[in-house]
Amino acid sequence: MKLFDPHIHMTSRTTDDYEAMAKAGIRAIIEPAFWLGQPRTKVGTFEDYFQALVGWERFRASQFGITHFCTIGLNPKEANNPNVAPGVLELMPHYLGKDGVVAVGEIGFDDQTPAEEKYFAAQLELANKFDLPVLVHTPHRDKKRGTERSLALVKEQRFPEERVVIDHNNEETLPLVLATGCWAGHSIYPNTKMDEPRMAALVKKYGTTRMIVNSAADWGVSDPLKVPKTAQAMKDVGVSDADIETIVWNNPIAFFGQTGRIAAADLGEAAKIDQAQLFEGNSVLRGQTPVRT
Amino acid sequence: MTSLLDALPSTARAWVLSVAPDDRIALLGAFSGAARNVGKDPCAVPERGTWGADELARAALLVRGAASVSPEELYDRGDNRERQAVLRALPLLEAPERFLPLAVEACRTNVLTIFEAIACENPYPQRHFPEPNWNQMVLKVAFNGLALARIVGLAARSNDELARMASDFAAERRAAGRPVPADLGSVMKGETT
Repeated sequence: MKLFDPHIHMTSRTTDDYEAMAKAGIRAIIEPAFWLGQPRTKVGTFEDYFQALVGWERFRASQFGITHFCTIGLNPKEANNPNVAPGVLELMPHYLGKDGVVAVGEIGFDDQTPAEEKYFAAQLELANKFDLPVLVHTPHRDKKRGTERSLALVKEQRFPEERVVIDHNNEETLPLVLATGCWAGHSIYPNTKMDEPRMAALVKKYGTTRMIVNSAADWGVSDPLKVPKTAQAMKDVGVSDADIETIVWNNPIAFFGQTGRIAAADLGEAAKIDQAQLFEGNSVLRGQTPVRT
Repeated sequence: MTSLLDALPSTARAWVLSVAPDDRIALLGAFSGAARNVGKDPCAVPERGTWGADELARAALLVRGAASVSPEELYDRGDNRERQAVLRALPLLEAPERFLPLAVEACRTNVLTIFEAIACENPYPQRHFPEPNWNQMVLKVAFNGLALARIVGLAARSNDELARMASDFAAERRAAGRPVPADLGSVMKGETT
């Protein structure tokens, strides 16, 4: 079965991860722009990060037959830093038109401050201008209230709900999201957020409509194979193959493909580039050694 | 320039011509969004290999709009395919020697498709690279397992230092028990593989 992980921070991961992901059937991924584990001190480091997301990391993924997309945004945590926030917002229009950029994100709330709300709203406006969907992070602390505030802001701004995915849902927030037109993302983590059996139970209870799962793997304790593992967990409790495929492949493509930047043809592109390189590689008998310079 | 436009399918050509070359904002937007307007199908460009339609359209936009946008800014803020298009367009711009620092820097990339755009089927390095940069580029082509025949002007710019570097590279590979690229002999004077 083909798998899509629509939230994974590959700049923090190794080539071993890419190999294991490809072997497990992951064909495409989305890497949302987020924070780096420690606060950035300059706008310029955001720009280099954005360039890696549309450049080097895209190529790196293609070397393992995986098509890489990204989202560009000012994350809620760093929206609180007046030294970088306005400058990052100014940079974004240079990147939002690019092919590999499929949404604005991660945006949303962390500490639920006025600054976070201001930049959340400003980025909804940018998404509107560029005709892009948005990926909304929900906070770890005071999560239910943060989710309610996010949904309220989307409504208040009259941003189309079908272009919003609210991420990192749990048993308490999912019904709130499904009551709107927004999509619901679930980050399957080793210890926190959501796990495989709980996710399978949510699918049994709520069905597949607007349901998305991801690994949200990053530089912390996390697992880039959580999408395949969740597919297996759903199968173990009797979810049909068609329903599993809807959640781990069709739904992320339907949501992030809304503005035409994810074409089925694109999803074969990485594999084709890889084959071309193997062809060149074979011509000098290097076999499958990935190109390194 | 005419040949760039000629290599494009007619609808794509019309799209490129519809972008006003003196409208900087329109150019920047068209440059980023080219693939969504003309696709990425392969197009044969006379003497320049095969480019994606998006690369071809972007190169044509840059050549047409060179008074309004610079190759440096498009490269610096470009994604991989945008960067490839900039590099392919360099020899078609006016006074191309101005862009030597950009072309040399591009050779330092780890992204193979970007490296190919400057090193392969591109007359720019032959015309403008100083010898040390030229030699490094040729060796990197061999190192990456690309065909040396894809370099424009390889024979014309052969030199003793390059021959030495190629011979040393071959020796290093043999010592490591790894195969030597079959086409390396052409740059190694007095030595065969």
